[in-house]
Amino acid sequence: MSGASKPGILGIFPYLDDLLRALKHLKSSGIPVHTVFSPTPRHEIQEILGLKPSPVRFFTLVGGTLGVAAGISLASYAHLQWEFVTGGKPVLAWIPFVIVGFEFTILFGVLFTLGALLFKSRLPKLRLPNYYDPRFSGDRFGVFVSCSDSERERTRKVLKENGAEEVHDVV
Amino acid sequence: MEGFTYRDVNQEILRTLSPARKPYYLLVALLFLTVVYAASCWAYQILTGMGVAGVMHPVNWGIYLVNFVFWVGIAHSGTLISAILYLLRARWRTSIARSAEAMTVFAVMIAGLFPFIHLGRVWIFYWIIPYPNQRNLWPNFQSPLVFDMIAISTYLTVSFLFWYTGMIPDLAAVRDRTTGLRQKVYRILSLGWIGSHHQWRHYTGAYLLFAALATPLVISVHSVVSWDFALSIVPGWHSTIFAPYFVAGAIHSGLAMVLTLLIPLRRIFRFEKFITMETLESIAKTIIFTGLIVGYAYGVEFFIAWYSGNMAERDTFIWRAIGHYAYAFWIMVVCNSIVPLAFFFKRLRTRISSLLVVSIFVNIGMWYERFVIIVGSMAHEYNPYSWGYYSPTWIELSIMAGSFCLFLFLFFLFVKFLPSVSITEIKESLRPPMREKSKA
Repeated sequence: MSGASKPGILGIFPYLDDLLRALKHLKSSGIPVHTVFSPTPRHEIQEILGLKPSPVRFFTLVGGTLGVAAGISLASYAHLQWEFVTGGKPVLAWIPFVIVGFEFTILFGVLFTLGALLFKSRLPKLRLPNYYDPRFSGDRFGVFVSCSDSERERTRKVLKENGAEEVHDVV
Repeated sequence: MEGFTYRDVNQEILRTLSPARKPYYLLVALLFLTVVYAASCWAYQILTGMGVAGVMHPVNWGIYLVNFVFWVGIAHSGTLISAILYLLRARWRTSIARSAEAMTVFAVMIAGLFPFIHLGRVWIFYWIIPYPNQRNLWPNFQSPLVFDMIAISTYLTVSFLFWYTGMIPDLAAVRDRTTGLRQKVYRILSLGWIGSHHQWRHYTGAYLLFAALATPLVISVHSVVSWDFALSIVPGWHSTIFAPYFVAGAIHSGLAMVLTLLIPLRRIFRFEKFITMETLESIAKTIIFTGLIVGYAYGVEFFIAWYSGNMAERDTFIWRAIGHYAYAFWIMVVCNSIVPLAFFFKRLRTRISSLLVVSIFVNIGMWYERFVIIVGSMAHEYNPYSWGYYSPTWIELSIMAGSFCLFLFLFFLFVKFLPSVSITEIKESLRPPMREKSKA
């Protein structure tokens, strides 16, 4: 994941197809890609890098499950503490508790999803990494390759040959 | 948006955040002053007592709760547009989702205020929160009012997080194009977003799940609000159709409010290329659909009142149509079910003036619908000796005016300080920049 500063090579691309080609070449040359930047999410990038779907969904499942348990447990605990019969219903009236359980499912599910998103994306972070370029939130794509001095030339060549408009050394 | 590049999208949307001119600040100041006035009215009510409001037996739920239901309803279209239409892959939602979501967040905030305003002793509002206490008192989880508290607070949390999460990449775009103090603020708000493939991977997964969770939530929230009424035995309230009837009504009013707000926004910010006539037409078509549902629900209520053979129910509905509040009933029927039929004509649903006029009619009609249901039913319950009328006092009307001003105040701040159209989603809907032009 992106640290605050890392030495390497940054390639900036104006075109998506060039970027994808560069990524394929980097992969086939055995040069590990550190970070790919894009103004919008692109599934092609994820496919080339061979990434699986985000594990955030498992956190959502855990959150939702905890939520339904928390909602029904809270309502049951409160009613057992109070033992107040209303409307001739039993103290533990399960049907109304479903509504409480449902709302808690959604609430916990969303909170866990958000927590997982922040945790997995390493957010929040006040300092941007030194290889970030503000144009990546505009109309440019980028590839950052974290590499040693001996690999710099080879990486630079792959990026240039595949349409990078700028290639920078990041130190 | 043919011919638009990513750079154009950034420029077009971010130019709306440039410093505003004098009329904007004057209007914002005026709205703020009205909100302060309404807040002082509430303070007066707290100091003096609920007697300053018009609520009294038999009508103990007045326009505070009418406004509560109205604002919860307004809040529904945001989630419909951002979550349900997202899951259905309706592309016309892209340009309006952000502002509709903002509308949702502000409307729920305002809706959440009204039960507090309605409370006689607001300083002990926390008694409804379940927490261990020395009195060993717990809220009754069988009560629809407790469902309501849980549903509304969940909805506020979820709609805010959904709105904010969707905005993070756009906030980063603003951060990257500002300087000084503004940049510092947007740097904090954007949480350090850099648009890396790791972040996008988790972001898209999370956003889809947010939408999937928000969809049943939005339906449950107004269903729960409807059960505040339907679980009682008041004639006109005790009905099994209330949940879908309220949800359809909420979407009806919410879509109308989207039109009412977006038409001036589109004009002022020259957003015609993003918020196209096709988008407005799609909203209008959906309004026909929801209008027909609420119209059907009005009819079914009368049918059931007659078919059930329940005298109190039947009398309530006859009284609704010809009694003291008949004017409100007919405003409701005409504005919600008849006026929107104008959108069956393409000429009317593709003209800005008619779109705006119909949307305002629907807003008025939906406010009156809640008035008819709440006040109309309480004023005319079972026993003739306990029938009575209600009319709001100047305090109630001032607080209501304040709620509308607070809504507009927040919306005005939103459009000037945050991107009111989603930069990321608009870019996603465009063809990405390709060297080989034939490739998609």
